Amino acid sequence: MPRQSVPRLLLLLPTATYRTAAFVEAARRLGVDLTVASERPSTFQDANPGGLVTLDLSHPERAAAEALAFAREHPLQGVVGVDDDTAIVAAAIAGTLGLCGNDVAAARAARDKHEQRTLLAAAGVPVPRFTRYGVEDDARQLAAGVSYPCVLKPLRLAASRGVIRADTPAQFVAAFARVKRILDDAGCGMRDARGVGDGASPIPHPASRYLLVEDFVPGREYALEGLLVAGELQMLALFDKPDPLDGPYFEETMYVTPSRLPGDTRGAVAACAARAAAALGLREGPVHAELRVNSRGPWLIELAARPIGGRCSAALRFEIGETGKGKGETLSLEEVVIRHALGMELPALEREPQASGVMMIPVPDAGVLQEVRGVEAARSVPLVEEVVITAHPGQELVPWPEGARYPGFIFARGGTPEAVEAALRAAHQRLQFVLM
Amino acid sequence: MNPAEIRISAEPIDTGRCKFVVSEPVHAGGVRRFASPDDARGSPLAEAIFAIPDADVGEVIVSGNLVTVVKRSPAPWQTVGKAVGQAIRAALAGAEPAVAPKPTAPAAPGTDDDALYERVADLFESQVNPMVARHGGRVELIDVQDAVVMVRMAGGCQGCGMADVTLRQGIEAMLQQHVPDVKGVVDITDHAAGSNPYFAAAKK
Repeated sequence: MPRQSVPRLLLLLPTATYRTAAFVEAARRLGVDLTVASERPSTFQDANPGGLVTLDLSHPERAAAEALAFAREHPLQGVVGVDDDTAIVAAAIAGTLGLCGNDVAAARAARDKHEQRTLLAAAGVPVPRFTRYGVEDDARQLAAGVSYPCVLKPLRLAASRGVIRADTPAQFVAAFARVKRILDDAGCGMRDARGVGDGASPIPHPASRYLLVEDFVPGREYALEGLLVAGELQMLALFDKPDPLDGPYFEETMYVTPSRLPGDTRGAVAACAARAAAALGLREGPVHAELRVNSRGPWLIELAARPIGGRCSAALRFEIGETGKGKGETLSLEEVVIRHALGMELPALEREPQASGVMMIPVPDAGVLQEVRGVEAARSVPLVEEVVITAHPGQELVPWPEGARYPGFIFARGGTPEAVEAALRAAHQRLQFVLM
Repeated sequence: MNPAEIRISAEPIDTGRCKFVVSEPVHAGGVRRFASPDDARGSPLAEAIFAIPDADVGEVIVSGNLVTVVKRSPAPWQTVGKAVGQAIRAALAGAEPAVAPKPTAPAAPGTDDDALYERVADLFESQVNPMVARHGGRVELIDVQDAVVMVRMAGGCQGCGMADVTLRQGIEAMLQQHVPDVKGVVDITDHAAGSNPYFAAAKK
């Protein structure tokens, strides 16, 4: 059997991800052989059977069996999922093929907001008080027994889609009905599995018909990016979220790092995230955690077994350190994740000294995008490095809580977090979205 | 031409590559790729871009109103991009053409771009385009220079969330298999202008 010198990575890329370019480019930079797996076939799959494969990403165990069959022809040394769902698939594949990864149960626990909350609360990790309800339950009856303010959250949607704060029973009833509609629109309606054909959407997970009602936790929110190696969490970056996320909807706007929290509070946040990862049973790979901090300390709002979403990873660069590459060269977050998955040497993982930030451009209004004006003016703002408009002309923009797609991203780097935040705001002010 | 009237939009692809979309045509004679300062001699725009301090520019590709710059330095595009913009404005305002016509001298042995072009064009016509057509896409072969293939994606490929997969795992892999003399593929598509991508990014 010939010795395989270049490791092969299986990259799980759903066709709706923003992460394609960053991960494909990272694999190229690392010089690894790449197999891209998606839930729908590439038109090139027959032409490049080692580089492209279709897996049933909606059924982790089935995907693992398919990956096992694939690996007999094309041995795999690592697997990476790029989002919440593919993190479970990656865990299943890693378990089946004996690769570096998490247990499926741990990945599932991270994916399901109720299971996550239950495990974290049992382990003593500070989480909001919570209850799970079915969307068919009587909201008027429930409203009387809920403490306010509260937050309603679908169990399986991403990007704060369908997350609504309610301060009164009347708001609760309205929010409950709205979440139910959002779940229906998102394809989470109950269907008869026997009626689902090969080309249909995946059968909805049972959890998709539930929602979580939890206490609203006052305080500022922070996002922690980390990497788990053999159960130890290394904090790669801690982001401030300078805009208050007090509802009624929870569309993200800005991430700025390094955090301006005092050092001991940063340590408490990192320790809280580490306890949460351990409580879920996560041991390997990227972690993205969202926490709130108030006078009682950090509260774990959510932890995901995946890297930061959207295009936001471009805000992170890591110094090469002792790996011997040229001075000034940096690693992307995706390169770090791939290196870890393949068991390649990891550098010190020190984030670059500059402050950095990203703005997920808020949806300006509901409508069909005609054009975006002022992009060049936004780019000309000092410290702004990039303005990326990801929405295309003719695309329908849907505000939160029904929406989940940002129309674009702004990136800035500078000497201080304050300067970066100001640059992001200034650039955003110069953008004008023309809707039909 | 008044340099102040020229509008330039920078679209970084990653830390190493950035496209500059110019409101005026920069070079009407097809695509020109410059892989070194020596290549750039006689083309004021490329000479100026290679001379940008601390950028360590490795490649400049000019096509129509598009200038693609590849750099090796970690300097941010915010800094390098402004210098590229100045170079574009100065070159367009100059008396000489910003980019000289492609030399007709025979290529060095082993890098017969014309022969490669024919082979790549055949592959695109017979295999690549029928494949991407299934998703409403099209891939245009723009040029081959120094064995590097330049392509532009259109239709369902333009702005598609999986365009990089198509480029690297599809087109590049096919070229490696069928035309192994090809050294690389450069995508000069303005993906931001794609209005009907086959796969649109939808998640956070």
